[in-house]
Amino acid sequence: MTASPSDTAATSVEGLAAALSDAVGGSYEVAHGTAKVRVEKERWVESLRAARDDFGLIFFSWLSAVDWSNQVEVGDALTETVEERYEVVAAVADISTGLIVLLSTDLDKANPRLASLVGVYAGANWHEREAHEMFGIEFDGHPQLIKLYLPEGFLGHPLRKSYPLLSREVKPWPGKVDVEGMPGQADEDEPSTENPEA
Amino acid sequence: MTTRLSADQDLVRHLSEVSVSVELQTPDMTLNIGPQHPSTHGVLRLVATVDGERAFNVQPVIGYMHRGYEKLAEVRTYPQITTLVNRIDWVSGYANEVPFIIAAERLLGVEVPERAQFIRLILTEMARIASHLVFNASYPLELGAATPLFFALRERERVLDLLESVTGGRFHPNFNRIGGVKPAQGAGSATRKVIQDLPRGFLAETRAAMDKVLSTVNELEALVAGNEIILARTKGIGLIPPETAAAYGMSGPNLRASGVGFDLRKVSDYLPYTQFDFRVPTGANGDCWDRWWVRLEETRQSASIIQQAIDSIPSGPLLAKVPKIIKIPKGEIYVRAENPKGEMGYYLVSDGGLGPYRLKIRSASFSNLSILPWILEGALIPDIIAIMGSLDFVLGDVDR
Repeated sequence: MTASPSDTAATSVEGLAAALSDAVGGSYEVAHGTAKVRVEKERWVESLRAARDDFGLIFFSWLSAVDWSNQVEVGDALTETVEERYEVVAAVADISTGLIVLLSTDLDKANPRLASLVGVYAGANWHEREAHEMFGIEFDGHPQLIKLYLPEGFLGHPLRKSYPLLSREVKPWPGKVDVEGMPGQADEDEPSTENPEA
Repeated sequence: MTTRLSADQDLVRHLSEVSVSVELQTPDMTLNIGPQHPSTHGVLRLVATVDGERAFNVQPVIGYMHRGYEKLAEVRTYPQITTLVNRIDWVSGYANEVPFIIAAERLLGVEVPERAQFIRLILTEMARIASHLVFNASYPLELGAATPLFFALRERERVLDLLESVTGGRFHPNFNRIGGVKPAQGAGSATRKVIQDLPRGFLAETRAAMDKVLSTVNELEALVAGNEIILARTKGIGLIPPETAAAYGMSGPNLRASGVGFDLRKVSDYLPYTQFDFRVPTGANGDCWDRWWVRLEETRQSASIIQQAIDSIPSGPLLAKVPKIIKIPKGEIYVRAENPKGEMGYYLVSDGGLGPYRLKIRSASFSNLSILPWILEGALIPDIIAIMGSLDFVLGDVDR
């Protein structure tokens, strides 16, 4: 691509993330154009309120979590040992400049609790309900912390890495059992993804 | 006789002096709407308390279509995930693939050939036109006008046929590859090497089809915009102030209808939109009418973008050189795109493996719908249909 507004956007996103992390006493990193500010969980609501009021990040994009776990039931295990934790990530944006910043905080595995953002961003309501049922995170002060997608009485928290995916338990995959050659295709030859003209 | 009359007068006088200390109330009724109501665009259920004709405390119940894509993505390889993500918002399936593929490419550090980027842009805009035409078909229908449906769906079929001629799929194209777009039918075969670009005549046909789209949009506008009933049902109904829309994460045409000229195509560089001349239509009031009008106008702008892109599409390869087995280096990225329904984004966390460690899918309709309890508080029951329809959501995009 020749035109690259990303260059200017990257520097200003960096500036925004630096100023925000200064204001809320966190640390920040910018990689691949994505800025993330890490804050203490005690200052979570305060940080988001500062982002909204002092930095004009009034657009609440999303909130979710990552289960950093060394023991995984599904997917690939991590290559390096990490500190076991839930990382809650929220994305807020400025709709006049389009800049978006991710804020994140770490929660203990034993007692994942965090103050709710509903008082700051009304849109956090459903996102927190989703994170609650999928990761088992308690959001203190949420007006209606009930299941969003899952039926009442559903056991477990499906997006935790310790939660198995039953279809994979029954039939391990990708595996030999699933590989069938396309009609007329030579056996065990993977389709080429190379550009034929190159 | 006279005494009787005077007794009645006494009674009247007495009644006029009685003050009622207890306010009479009609008992509240709980009204269940859906999950199979036609206006719910899928399977959405609303539980509302109604007092006469007004609804209070509306609780949307979602999850009937939850397919758990975020979990499923963790056990799939990167190239396999496009088949999941284009099923999120099936009205514009192609557009869902693009931000995911771009997230993977940026983490991998692949430079996508310019021609592939243009093809992505053209197909994304075609998906936008198809999506907005569905809205222009269904919304007047929900308000009682059946005719626009036939105009809009006829045109959408033309657009979908063209999409199908390139990708092979009307709804689920699965056409993007990490590094570009699918090079050719048969080009991946080990026994048969076929070098094929876009189908012959596709660009010229699409260019001509866009003229037809523009004239259909004019017809739709003439059919709907002068209709007194539609004006009465939509003007001033379902007002959303810009600050409220932003706090709920409402994006796309719904946000722009509230007067915010925020369009990721203008501020982000995920596809080469800056090379083209187009306007971002915004509404004045943020009511149902503005949301209808913004989508109509966006359809025109998309048609114009497609024509400009066809005129300037460069030649060259369709796919960058990428390894056969794609492992994405450790890192995380959030890429968002202006999809027909609003901001669609993927937060991709990679640990250097064949598939993501975590994939958070930010879908537009989810946030757009989360405003329902706020906006439907105290609304008339017929207005619920008008307001929900104007938000243009798809339940697949809500539930993921």
